[in-house]
Amino acid sequence: MLVKRRTREAATSGRLSQMAAGVAARPLDRRSFLRASGLAVGGLAAIGTIGAGLTRRVEAAGFIDMSQPIEVKTNICTHCSVGCTVKAEVQNGVWVGQEPAWHSPINRGTHCAKGASVRELVHGDRRIKYPMKKVGGQWQRITWEQAIDEIGAKMLDIRENSGADSVYLLGSAKFSNEGAYLFRKFAAFWGTNNVDHQARICHSTTVAGVANTWGYGAQTNSYNDIRNAKTVIFMGSNAAEAHPVSMQHILEGKETQNANVIVLDPRFTRTAAHATEYIRFRPGTDIPVVYGMLWHIFENGWEDREYIAQRVWGMDQVREVVKHYTPDVVEDISGVDGETLKRAAQQFAQERPSTFIWCMGGTQHTVGTANVRAYNILLLATGNVGHEGTGANIFRGHCNVQGATDFGLDVGNLPCYYGLGEGAWRHWSRVWDVPYDYFVDRFDAVPAKGGRDARTPEQNMGIPGITSTRWFDAVTIDADEVDQRDNIKAMVVFGHGGNTVPRMIDAQRGMNELDLLVVADPHPTTFAALHSRTDNTYLLPICTQFECSGSRTASNRSIQWGEKVVEPIFESDNDYAVIHALSQRLGFADEMFKNYEMVDGKFGMEPTPESILREINRGAWSVGYTGQSPERLKAHMRYQEHFDLVTLRAKPDAPEEVQGDYYGLPWPCWGTAELRHPGTHILYNTNLHPMEGGGAFRPRFGLERDGETLLAEGSWPVGSEIEDGYPQFTYGMLKELGWDTDLTPQELATIRRVAGGDEEAMDGVSWSLDLSGGIQRVALQHGCVPYGNGKARAVAWSLPDPIPVHREPIYTSRPDLVAQYPTNPDRRQQRMPNIGEVVQQDVVDRGVATEFPIILTSGRLVEYEGGGEETRSNPWLAELKQDMFVEINPADAAARGIVDGGWVWVTGAEGGSRARVKALVTERVNPGLAFMPFHFAGWFQGADQRGNYPEGTDPIVLGESVNVITTYGYDPVTGMHEGKVTLCQIAAA
Amino acid sequence: MTRTLLSRLAAAFAVVALAALLAPMYAEAQVNPTQSSVNEDAMFQALGTSGTVSGRVTIPDQASGNLIVPDNKAWAVLQGQTLHTLSIVAVVGMVVLLALFYMIRGKIRIDGGPSGRRILRFNAVERFAHWTLASTFIILALTGLNLIIGKSVILPIVGESAFGTLSAWGKVAHNFLAWPFMASLVLIFLLWVIHNVPNRLDWQWIKAGGGILKKGVHPPARKFNAGQKLIFWSVIIGGALLSWTGIMLLFPGEVATAADWQFYQVIHALVAAALSALVIAHIYIGSVGMEGAFDAMGSGEVDENWAKEHHSLWVEEVKSTQARNTAQVQTPAE
Amino acid sequence: MARMKFLCDADRCIECQACVTACKNEHEVPWGINRRRVVTINDGLPGERSVSMACMHCDDAPCAAVCPVDCFYTTADAVVLHNKDTCIGCGYCSYACPFGAPQFPRTANFGTRGKMDKCTYCSGGPEADMSHAEYVKYGSNRLAEGKLPLCAEMCSTKSLLAGDGEIIAEIYRERVVTRGYGSGAWGWRTAYGETVTV
Repeated sequence: MLVKRRTREAATSGRLSQMAAGVAARPLDRRSFLRASGLAVGGLAAIGTIGAGLTRRVEAAGFIDMSQPIEVKTNICTHCSVGCTVKAEVQNGVWVGQEPAWHSPINRGTHCAKGASVRELVHGDRRIKYPMKKVGGQWQRITWEQAIDEIGAKMLDIRENSGADSVYLLGSAKFSNEGAYLFRKFAAFWGTNNVDHQARICHSTTVAGVANTWGYGAQTNSYNDIRNAKTVIFMGSNAAEAHPVSMQHILEGKETQNANVIVLDPRFTRTAAHATEYIRFRPGTDIPVVYGMLWHIFENGWEDREYIAQRVWGMDQVREVVKHYTPDVVEDISGVDGETLKRAAQQFAQERPSTFIWCMGGTQHTVGTANVRAYNILLLATGNVGHEGTGANIFRGHCNVQGATDFGLDVGNLPCYYGLGEGAWRHWSRVWDVPYDYFVDRFDAVPAKGGRDARTPEQNMGIPGITSTRWFDAVTIDADEVDQRDNIKAMVVFGHGGNTVPRMIDAQRGMNELDLLVVADPHPTTFAALHSRTDNTYLLPICTQFECSGSRTASNRSIQWGEKVVEPIFESDNDYAVIHALSQRLGFADEMFKNYEMVDGKFGMEPTPESILREINRGAWSVGYTGQSPERLKAHMRYQEHFDLVTLRAKPDAPEEVQGDYYGLPWPCWGTAELRHPGTHILYNTNLHPMEGGGAFRPRFGLERDGETLLAEGSWPVGSEIEDGYPQFTYGMLKELGWDTDLTPQELATIRRVAGGDEEAMDGVSWSLDLSGGIQRVALQHGCVPYGNGKARAVAWSLPDPIPVHREPIYTSRPDLVAQYPTNPDRRQQRMPNIGEVVQQDVVDRGVATEFPIILTSGRLVEYEGGGEETRSNPWLAELKQDMFVEINPADAAARGIVDGGWVWVTGAEGGSRARVKALVTERVNPGLAFMPFHFAGWFQGADQRGNYPEGTDPIVLGESVNVITTYGYDPVTGMHEGKVTLCQIAAA
Repeated sequence: MTRTLLSRLAAAFAVVALAALLAPMYAEAQVNPTQSSVNEDAMFQALGTSGTVSGRVTIPDQASGNLIVPDNKAWAVLQGQTLHTLSIVAVVGMVVLLALFYMIRGKIRIDGGPSGRRILRFNAVERFAHWTLASTFIILALTGLNLIIGKSVILPIVGESAFGTLSAWGKVAHNFLAWPFMASLVLIFLLWVIHNVPNRLDWQWIKAGGGILKKGVHPPARKFNAGQKLIFWSVIIGGALLSWTGIMLLFPGEVATAADWQFYQVIHALVAAALSALVIAHIYIGSVGMEGAFDAMGSGEVDENWAKEHHSLWVEEVKSTQARNTAQVQTPAE
Repeated sequence: MARMKFLCDADRCIECQACVTACKNEHEVPWGINRRRVVTINDGLPGERSVSMACMHCDDAPCAAVCPVDCFYTTADAVVLHNKDTCIGCGYCSYACPFGAPQFPRTANFGTRGKMDKCTYCSGGPEADMSHAEYVKYGSNRLAEGKLPLCAEMCSTKSLLAGDGEIIAEIYRERVVTRGYGSGAWGWRTAYGETVTV
């Protein structure tokens, strides 16, 4: 096929030409180039110091020797939640090539900038290469044994003096499901609920808002299903940069359906560029904007009355509240005119199916949960939940933030949303095969203080821990203010950046005051470099998910199995092994790991992820993580090409192992693996038989309210033998229905065991506690959803604002509106005080909006992710965004003498904070609005902190963190920070 | 080229204008980014066919923000065809002309025959400067010419790899030898500018055709005749142009935009071709073309008869100076 | 014989830069060399469009016309390649190229350039197909393996198309007809003298 010009003499022959080749420039290979440019000097020097025995050469160029065998491994991209399959070509243990994974129905071979460069992650010069600790301010290399031994000793010491709750266990959305579950279990065995992860700062308010509306805190549909939508609203989501591969489905859907794509965002984003309607609004006014649409919907009768009557409770109360938000009121608050909102509302209500997509633009607010609730109400009013092309398409952040949330890396939950009640602890005790009292013994008793009552250990087990947004306050605040035995004394941070929550000046103070700081990560995060600690600081090299196996849950609840591509590089090791080693040192490994298959790992014994998943399968009934056996998940990866692009369902000609399944067995996948439930592509979908992935809203909030039923009326999934609403299934309910006879003797025996052998208590054993899966199986057999068939709540009476109302941001640019729309009243939550109201009043009184006239919002860039260390250390990505910047409107820039690309100081409204960044003068932002990405760190208020990183591990690109500038503000339900609205001033530097 | 530069400027304005045209009116009702999407056809219409389409890039190389620069093709044609042909015409044309001249006129002899008496015409410093300039110029000219016409003249003969090697060395030589060239150019200027101020004699000399065309005609001249002055000023001005444009070309990116670079390159090539042709003539007359001329730069001493014929006034000046000096020496102080 | 071309459907391009890093990944392209880049026109304004651009492998390639050492050649697939052993790093090609494709490592004296590097359409150079020598100088040779350029294969929204010019033009045409809009085959008029008409 290829004709090359070989007729001319081969240029390489002859010494003359080779000499000549040296004259102009030798073709540089990558490493010598980096060396020449001085970029890799530190990294290479560090490689040189490593013992040869433990490390593999990383001189792994991308050359593939075709004469040698190539192994192909499939794993999942470790960046966002879309869940793109990564196809890796491995030769001699080195990852040499990345090929398009054509068969994945999710990404169909494609990637974004991050996904297309993940190979570099496992060749990374700048990874942490061996365990280190700080001695007298200097990083020193230590062995794994020494690291675990010292960390364990210090943890036990702190436990002795301050209690188990003084050790904060910060986990990661980059764990595999098995890793996340293991870490949650580790916290339980350690005896604390102070365990959290990134979901706190991305979608905790979503989970709270959505779960409180219709049952489960997850994306209802899928990226693929958006292809069916006729109207798509993005509000506070910049999918083009945050979830680029999702745009493949959205843009193709837009083209083939001629769909309306409405982008509501304060900033003209790359997503907005592809909208059919772009609506700009003032940050922090989501509720008025949504109500502005609802006002037109109710006014014109565009709501779906039948749907509301059958499946929604409380919409009339909402109607009353919405009446206040007339076009004039909404325009005054948000800046959006009524005609525009009318047009959008009409499209959303009438050109159906419609879907509503939101991300952190909606969630990271003091009104985050309320925002989410408002979005849900709009969806419910227009009947846009529970069918193809509709739904709350919540695009989650990290690759496994859904899974990590599901497995309870959360201050208020044991795995799978069982909560922290005694029933939950007893359930997991049974699954873990450990006596309930074992855990009671592990927890602190909390003395009476600050006017609060004392708590027994057993009571303390049920109290949610401190959120990851407030950990530093819990270090530095007066001990009386912290609702636990003592302040936080130690942070054990796995795979978590330190620059993604506001108030970094305070965070730095917190880091400095800790007795122990452990950072377990592939890269040194801000937790490793921001502070001025001199001792008691440890760095543990953790490998990426490409260097170990395990499953991860994409945003659409599809679970995908990733296989180990290469061995962990340098001295890094996987999460399973490190958690095991720590548990051993802390003395509870034997109990905690007794159900797992243990194998020889790199530095010791480690559990296999398959055996952890099997334990999950035995206990995760409440969300249907029970049918996804390792075998089934692996079969799905093997037969990806047999799944339909739009329905995600395996086609009729698919191999028997996957036939009829939805791709990745999206949860709930009811019953045991043997039941062969296909998973649930679309939640609450009454158009399908529950055994085919159908469902209904989950009645979680009682059976009636204000004398009205909370069960569905006249709506049920296809095939239901109960043709009306019904509560969750219990053994007692089966008996009433006469279906208990369908249970097998083994199932019955298990139910009896769960009830503690008490025949009366057996009636109370529910579908989510029955370890046999029998109740679920029987319910499904009769066409019923195990959790019941209820109504969604338009009014969530358990929340601070049962019906969302507008509340001005704490640092508001409209102090005149605060009197009418104040922030939430001060309260105590998650063991800490929330004084938002006091702060807001102070902001108004001090006239902060005059001194800091520019609204500052933050967001994501396509090249980087999260705190950014792994991506800013990747030269292929780092080259594309080399400077931290602030987007500023040309008018604001001109008024300040700021030029595009010039240095500016951004000063924050709290604590004299300031950041030196480059100006990006652009119309993306309106006058009066500035935008900064949140992936940068390594500069702190003008000072370069490169020297704080261990030599050779500093990310290539460093920059100021936006969260130095961001300010106080926490959602009253979840403690989510306010990351999207604050005030600042900008001046040329 | 200036036209191109101007048109580029215009295009840049057009981009701004177009942006302004497409700028949103937020007060206006609907913003439909899909409908208002830019379009290549419309953009080129607004910019004119040679306009540059540019936008924002995130990498530091801001020049890469130029998405499409159709004008570069115009330069490619100019460089690949026009300059290529012109250079060949200039050099080959001059060689042919001189060959014809030689056939007709033959070597210009010293009319009176060599006298045997030598007279110092150029001292060592002058000769050093000349030869530095000459040798570097020749190499620069050859290596430069190679870049333009080498591929049609040398490549077919020596083959790709040898030609590549040759050209790579040539490029290095060109870059480095430019510096001694420029230094000697300055030196030459300082040494000889005083002798090269044009005057009335030059007009006579020119009217007499420099005496080159006819045997026995020798218009008077001082140290440099009008022909030599022409060479001098051509070399100085041409050399200065080459130096200036050359320096610009040596530091791409730092001192010039791509369009500037193209502009300098064209000037450089045109001046080089013209100067090369002129220098070929200069070499001819200083070597095979004229008896006795080479000595001036060879040993520095010329035959008195040659000097009388070509630089009669200069000889007189030299003689009278010598005489004065001798007289002064012979008169003892009393 | 196929006539290989790229076509960036700007109505699909979201500036995700996957094409850029895929290229870096496939060929281990060093820092500072950008064989492919994404340019955003009218940034921040409604109507903004991003276009991924690399060597367009022109008809009558201007780079080849100005190359003093004639190091360019066109394959039977109409891919414009060059020979780094012959290249002298003069930079002329970069001034002739309408698309800013030629890239130069900064080396040596006077800010002069090393040997030119550019998009090879993932088809290597004059060395033996898929040899180590070819990889070091030009990157991998996917075309010889029967694969298309990785930038296009990995494009997140399938905006960047690579393949036979007529086929990808037809794909683009169909898209434009289906959706009713198209911002044009950016660069085609300049590279091939004609654009895709719908």
